[in-house]
Amino acid sequence: MGWLHNRFEENLAITSVDWVLNWARSSSIWPMTFGLACCAIEMMAAGASRFDLDRFGAGAFRATPRQSDLMVVAGTVTFKMASRIRRLYNQMPDPKYVLAMGACTIGGGPYFKYGYHVVKGVDLIVPVDVYIPGCPPRPEALIEGLMRLQDKMKRETIAKKAE
Amino acid sequence: MPDTTGIHAEGGVQLLQGLAIFALAAFLMAFVVLVFGKLFRPRNPNPDKGAAYECGEAPVGPGWVQFNLRFYVVALIFLVFDVEIALFYPWAVVFGGGGAPNAGWEALHAMRAAALWDMLFFFGVIVVGFLYLWRFGYLDWVRSLGARTDEPAPTTAPIRTETVAPPLAEIIAES
Repeated sequence: MGWLHNRFEENLAITSVDWVLNWARSSSIWPMTFGLACCAIEMMAAGASRFDLDRFGAGAFRATPRQSDLMVVAGTVTFKMASRIRRLYNQMPDPKYVLAMGACTIGGGPYFKYGYHVVKGVDLIVPVDVYIPGCPPRPEALIEGLMRLQDKMKRETIAKKAE
Repeated sequence: MPDTTGIHAEGGVQLLQGLAIFALAAFLMAFVVLVFGKLFRPRNPNPDKGAAYECGEAPVGPGWVQFNLRFYVVALIFLVFDVEIALFYPWAVVFGGGGAPNAGWEALHAMRAAALWDMLFFFGVIVVGFLYLWRFGYLDWVRSLGARTDEPAPTTAPIRTETVAPPLAEIIAES
């Protein structure tokens, strides 16, 4: 982690730095364009003018992992795609977050029993921060998930963790 | 209030002061941002992060490959044909007096003369590049077909069959 991480106890300076860092990070989440299946259509709708993901600073969809903080895994994850997802996640710069969107990414969804080709949950490949249920989730649900992720980011600290 | 418009000693000192402040501010801005970023940002390098990005596929070789040198000439051609036109356009718009609509005839005349000679000089430089490209055949993408012959390339040394072992010599003689 960074040079200042886990170095100081929680105090006024550290919490102020935390506040600025978390405010900056959570208000400019740049998601990676990662539509795998039908959930991606809802993700596009969330990014378009009616639902306008840009209100939360998360509308700048990047076409490369190098510039993105958030990976919205939107759609069915097949075994063939799993290694690619893993590699793309590794290529993202830290701090990085993953949003599992839809039933397929949470646990296989409708392919759970007979889908021989479907990974039963994207959390088997990459660490997931927020799960958004639905098949597919509405854009409002994606926005809700994004806001919960923002809440999670705002709780982060660079202070020394309590033992 | 000193006069800063004329270039005399006092104005020169003020100019240097301004430049120094400007340079210092520019340096500090970049320096502070870099140092603060170093303090706060997480640093977790891994082999995948260092690899070339190929849409999630395993990269085929490194990203640092040698490019064909001929694309350098393509860049030159682009400069000659495209950048030249891009610079001509605003010049042509202003040349008719659009830049100073209320200027008098005398001023307009002087301005036009200066602009014309400037642009002619620039055009001359570009034309030299154009003639270079033309003369040495860089305008033809398929190079020097006329100079190509169908004779095989000359070998550096003839094969000395008498020193080659007998079975090999037979093979060479047959072929």
